[in-house]
Amino acid sequence: MTIELRGLTKRFGSTVAVDDLSASIGPGSVTAFLGPNGAGKTTTLRMLLGLVAPTAGTATIDGKRYCELAEPLREVGALLEASGFHPGRTAIDHLLGLAVAARLPPDAPIRALAEVGLATDAKPKVSAFSLGMRRRLGLAAAILGEPRVLVLDEPANGLDPQGIRWLRGYLRELADNGRTVFVSSHVLAEIEQIADKVLMIASGRLVRSSGLAELRAEAGVLTGMRTPEINRLRALLEAAGYRVRGVAQDELVVDGRPEAIGELAAAHQIVLHRLFETGGLEDVFIRLTRGDGS
Amino acid sequence: MTSLVHAELIKLRSTRLALWLLLTALALVVLLVLVTVPAGQDTSGGLSLRDTDLLARVVGVATTAGEVVVLALGILSFTQEFRFGTATATFLVAPDRRRVLIAKALALAVAGLLFSAATITLDLVLSVLIINARGGAVVWSGELVAVLAAAVAVMALYGPIGVAIGALVRNQIAAVAGALVWLLAVEGFLVTLLPAIGRWMPGGATAGLLQEGRAATTHGALLPAWAGGLVLLGYATVIGLLASALALRKDLT
Repeated sequence: MTIELRGLTKRFGSTVAVDDLSASIGPGSVTAFLGPNGAGKTTTLRMLLGLVAPTAGTATIDGKRYCELAEPLREVGALLEASGFHPGRTAIDHLLGLAVAARLPPDAPIRALAEVGLATDAKPKVSAFSLGMRRRLGLAAAILGEPRVLVLDEPANGLDPQGIRWLRGYLRELADNGRTVFVSSHVLAEIEQIADKVLMIASGRLVRSSGLAELRAEAGVLTGMRTPEINRLRALLEAAGYRVRGVAQDELVVDGRPEAIGELAAAHQIVLHRLFETGGLEDVFIRLTRGDGS
Repeated sequence: MTSLVHAELIKLRSTRLALWLLLTALALVVLLVLVTVPAGQDTSGGLSLRDTDLLARVVGVATTAGEVVVLALGILSFTQEFRFGTATATFLVAPDRRRVLIAKALALAVAGLLFSAATITLDLVLSVLIINARGGAVVWSGELVAVLAAAVAVMALYGPIGVAIGALVRNQIAAVAGALVWLLAVEGFLVTLLPAIGRWMPGGATAGLLQEGRAATTHGALLPAWAGGLVLLGYATVIGLLASALALRKDLT
């Protein structure tokens, strides 16, 4: 199932939250929806899910608008920032209400809880849940109907490092099973490791849509290093034509490959405490989404 | 639709709110019965222990407790969805929001019937006991049956009305406080001071349906039961249509 956004536009009064956004999000891969806070990601997702009415344009899933889906929970699972829980309700009851409304099998709630690692937390009230557990419960609600499309708004927010790692693996698995996974984030690092494709949005407009691999290639290879003789090495590198991309205390990042830089340091007998390859992706992300780079 | 109504009943059942409101209603019934049954020869409330319709009157007055509580439950069933952000999930399951409105209204009608069963049982038993204890006449009349039927109808209608109010006024404090002040204070004055207007208002029509008027200071000012019932049904319909036309189209951000 493919998500199709065509000329999607939303104005709130005189502010344009989403501006003529067109994109296609296909199955079998994780598509990251990247942009700084306030770029219009959430509004776009809410339009896709029929919660906010577009000013212009359409958002469809498999050719149908969300409100035209016969059994929405079986087709699309969603986790949104503002989706909440009644604190006095148990996790299982929260899911039960949704499962009954969507006419899902009676064991759907307990299965979804097990899937997100909350199998033993079905009975306590949500008020006793940590932020990370609430995030997992939200995710359980999203996968309740075993949908083929997942729309997740900043799913990593509030998750601890283990949770983020688990989420990455989980989304990867869903995509590998042929599902359409569309994940928004304002932090590139969160999904850099699992996203196959990237949609970048800034000030409501799509600034880039491409595969992550292409973007990486475009960003080029950077090399980071740590050395006690940072000033000497820096001067040598600059003399050799490398461009310095970042400096911090005893750390230096330049464009170029680590092999060449390691050899250069060795030739001048400079001790390196660390030498690592890194991508310039974050730079590209910031440049594009600042609105002056496209 | 059945599954949506079932889901709404699960939501009502799975928090403590409904239970607390039921206990509140029962406590209010006790209070109202104690206050309404006249003690000794006191007839200041317009009722006397010798009235043949005393039991029917007391049952009618005590219904007020249940109707107010069921109204609050109806309002809260919707405003809490906005307050806690569960409205998003609710509307994702049922993107046609009118279906959610109707399902909630039906669920609240069911809840209203259950509440009425509990409050009316307590109401009847307690009234008979207190009237007997104070030396009054307990008369099982056709009028009592009419008031009981009206009480059940009122309880079944007030929940759905609350649902519509909750959909329109998403702020739950404003919605609950506003509805209660209107029903208990503003309408109280209207029925007494300007009966020509007050009898057509929701609370006035309810009082007419329950025939509280014959016994109280508003003697003769209220609509007959059938007319009160129709007016109340009219209000429920109008506010329901308003809610589905205005409130549910709003963006959920």
